[in-house]
Amino acid sequence: MKRIISMLACAALLAACVHPEAEPEEVPIQPETGEYLGVVTVEYSGTSFDNESITVLFQPAEDGKTASLEIKRIKFVPAMPVTIDVTIPDVELTSTSEEIDLVCGEVIPLAMGGEYPRYIVTGLIGRIVGDEMTFSLKFGDYPTTFRGVLQH
Amino acid sequence: MLTNLLTLLLALTTPVTDSIPASAVIAAKQDAAPERLAVPVSAFGTRTLDAAGIKNPKGLSDLIPGLHMPDYGASLTSTIYLRGFGSRMENPVMGLYVDDIPVLDKNAYDIDFLDLKSATMLRGPQGTGYGRNTMCGVLSLRTLAPGEYDGLLGRIEGGTAGQLRTSLSWYGDRHALSLGYRHGDGWFDNACTGAPVDPYDGGSLRWRWERRLSDRLSLSNSLSASLVKEGAFAYGQYREGVLHPVSYNDEGSYARLTVLEGAKASWTLESLTLDAAASLQWLSDDVRMDNDYTARDIFTLEQRQDCGAGTLDLTLRPTRERERWQPATGLFAFFKGNHLSAPVHFKEGGIQSLILDNANGNIPADIGYLDIRDRDIPILSEFRIRSWGAALYHESVFRLGRWQLTAGVRLDYEGGWMGYDCSARLDYRFVPFMASYKAFRSDYRGSLDLSALQLLPKLSALYEVPSPLPDRHLFLYATASKGWRAGGFNTQIFSDILQNRMMNGLMEDLGVYLDRPAVSVGAENTRYAPETAWNYEIGGRLLDRNVFRLEASLYYIDGRNQQLTVFPPGLSTGRMMTNAGRSRSLGAEAEADLHPGQWTLHLSYGCCDARFVRYDDGNHDYSGNRIPYSPAHTLYAAAGYRFPFATGRIQGLSLLADLHGTGGIRWDEANTLSEPFAWRLGGRITLEWKHFDLYLRGSNLTDDRSRTFYFKSVGNEFFALSKPRALVWGLTLKI
Repeated sequence: MKRIISMLACAALLAACVHPEAEPEEVPIQPETGEYLGVVTVEYSGTSFDNESITVLFQPAEDGKTASLEIKRIKFVPAMPVTIDVTIPDVELTSTSEEIDLVCGEVIPLAMGGEYPRYIVTGLIGRIVGDEMTFSLKFGDYPTTFRGVLQH
Repeated sequence: MLTNLLTLLLALTTPVTDSIPASAVIAAKQDAAPERLAVPVSAFGTRTLDAAGIKNPKGLSDLIPGLHMPDYGASLTSTIYLRGFGSRMENPVMGLYVDDIPVLDKNAYDIDFLDLKSATMLRGPQGTGYGRNTMCGVLSLRTLAPGEYDGLLGRIEGGTAGQLRTSLSWYGDRHALSLGYRHGDGWFDNACTGAPVDPYDGGSLRWRWERRLSDRLSLSNSLSASLVKEGAFAYGQYREGVLHPVSYNDEGSYARLTVLEGAKASWTLESLTLDAAASLQWLSDDVRMDNDYTARDIFTLEQRQDCGAGTLDLTLRPTRERERWQPATGLFAFFKGNHLSAPVHFKEGGIQSLILDNANGNIPADIGYLDIRDRDIPILSEFRIRSWGAALYHESVFRLGRWQLTAGVRLDYEGGWMGYDCSARLDYRFVPFMASYKAFRSDYRGSLDLSALQLLPKLSALYEVPSPLPDRHLFLYATASKGWRAGGFNTQIFSDILQNRMMNGLMEDLGVYLDRPAVSVGAENTRYAPETAWNYEIGGRLLDRNVFRLEASLYYIDGRNQQLTVFPPGLSTGRMMTNAGRSRSLGAEAEADLHPGQWTLHLSYGCCDARFVRYDDGNHDYSGNRIPYSPAHTLYAAAGYRFPFATGRIQGLSLLADLHGTGGIRWDEANTLSEPFAWRLGGRITLEWKHFDLYLRGSNLTDDRSRTFYFKSVGNEFFALSKPRALVWGLTLKI
């Protein structure tokens, strides 16, 4: 009897060991606050202008469904005598297991202590894959892109 | 011709009672007679000082060759230039000793003399004996001691501009007590307020006590205090080549309390004598300044400080003077603590012109503009400054026949620490983005320290030329010595630092970054280094005791890290000390005292060519330019005659005429502004009775209105003028 029980147990163990793998369940990436360092390119008057070494602070809301993008020290045209911090609020996030997609149809950015309607943001799309963030949008009439890497 | 005149004058000379008393005017720490010192010595007794109308150290300008202490501003401003060196802020190039006690704080240098017995100036670096801040000389003031007079001394004096000066002193065997009071209605009017700029009220007190406890031990104590309350800062704006009247709208005043307590002991042993001098010093003062000196509301300064200090000086020397070798060894230590509060208030005009215009000028108008709600922004600055030092020194005097050789060395250590706590807050908004004002605060705290070690050697040789007359002596000397002026911290630039930090911080708070942000030094740049100088000097002294004295010298000073007061470029609100790379001064000085018969003749003359050898402030190269503020020439000439009356109650009539001359002065490092040589004529008539004198004295009788001081504030230029013609009458009492 003992032998039968032992054999059954071994069989069960063997069966367990040779059981084919279950399909992995997709776990969406949890968005986390991070600073991305990269280049912002602004197109104006038919040319493009690179803002080198720009930091973008990605700051998700608590529910992880929206985030703000704070672009630090950006110039829209080279002749601007100042650089400014511009925050794009209410960017919608869609997370998958491999990336976070960023979308924002139209929003008034925040700068210099208030709303900055002159550079209204439209058509923002982008994504975060691994340590890299990319997005494109229009600031007013200026098509703008960003590509940057997470700073650890 | 000159030789004949000199011979004639010498032939006519007879001893008079108030000539240059060798024993009475010795300087602190010098036990040799002044004629045997291998440095130039200027010495004045009571009657000379009285006749010249000298009431405070500033009055000694020109009398002492090369000394320039311009009279402007307030009692706070004891600016001293000597032999081309000096600055109006921070540490002086000349040490001041009152009854052998060093006065540590230059803010306390401008004191009213009470029964001054003598003023002696040792010119040239006195680093070996006196250490820090005696780079160009030491002024030793001695007051009348108990036992040197018995009874009452009094004075009352009145004159132009409501001047009133009174003093009363009592002298006993062991104690002396003096009280003084001074009032003035003011010399200048403020065109903005219509009121006098510089009314003055001040009182002073002095108590001296001396006692010989035994043959071996003697003690003395001196306590002096003074209280001053005055209007201040008669500065007129200089625009387009025209100097305008003083016209500012905010308060300009100065109040000061000083206490100087000094105790001395001399303990004589069989072979050695120990002299000890210790002091406790206190200074509290309060400066109110319209810092823009205009009728507009730009910015003001309220500076209060409480400063306490202690000193100890021990000197050991042989009890009996040795024939060949006379050594002296000493130890000096001091500690000074200062709590300084210096809030700067930016008022409506200053907020607009110095802050908003500055910021908005860099922001494109189509983006927006900065607005500040406040009408008064205080920039608070608190400083706690400590400095301490210790020194060990030795000097040996070797007498070899007619030669006297001196070798000395001093090791001086000094440390300093400053804690600063500055802050500013305001409410701002950026239009049109911000609907409401937002509070912003900028803090700046930290501490700095410094230390310095200086080795100060000295070598001198004095030769007494053989003389056919026993009372006539001719000495020739040569000296090489090093002196130094302590470094320190620039507190007056902190309002500029914080203003710039506040603006940059505020813009960062907004998320706006100027491509060319306002640049200012940080706290770490506010230290300034010690200044050092080697002085090489040759001179001669011809004297006949109590009859005449002629003295002349030539010097060359090689200065390193010269401390200069500079105004940062642009619309800066502060000023700061900086160090010039290298400078030099080449000069000559001469003094003559002659007393032929009833005549009293005195001449002091100094000239120097002081220049930057290497000074590039980063924007300009000033190498080769004259060092600003210090005059190229100083001159004092006086001639007096006394008519003695053998009969009647009036014992005599004295007449004296004197002439002060100073200049030319360069007012800036670039040498673009200058002041020519200027003369001021004075005179005095004195009627003498047995127990009192009645006198009438005039100063600046030619009403010279030359400029005595120049500075910049927020890009504007200002000058101070010399005080106008003045007449005073006075009565002195001796009972």
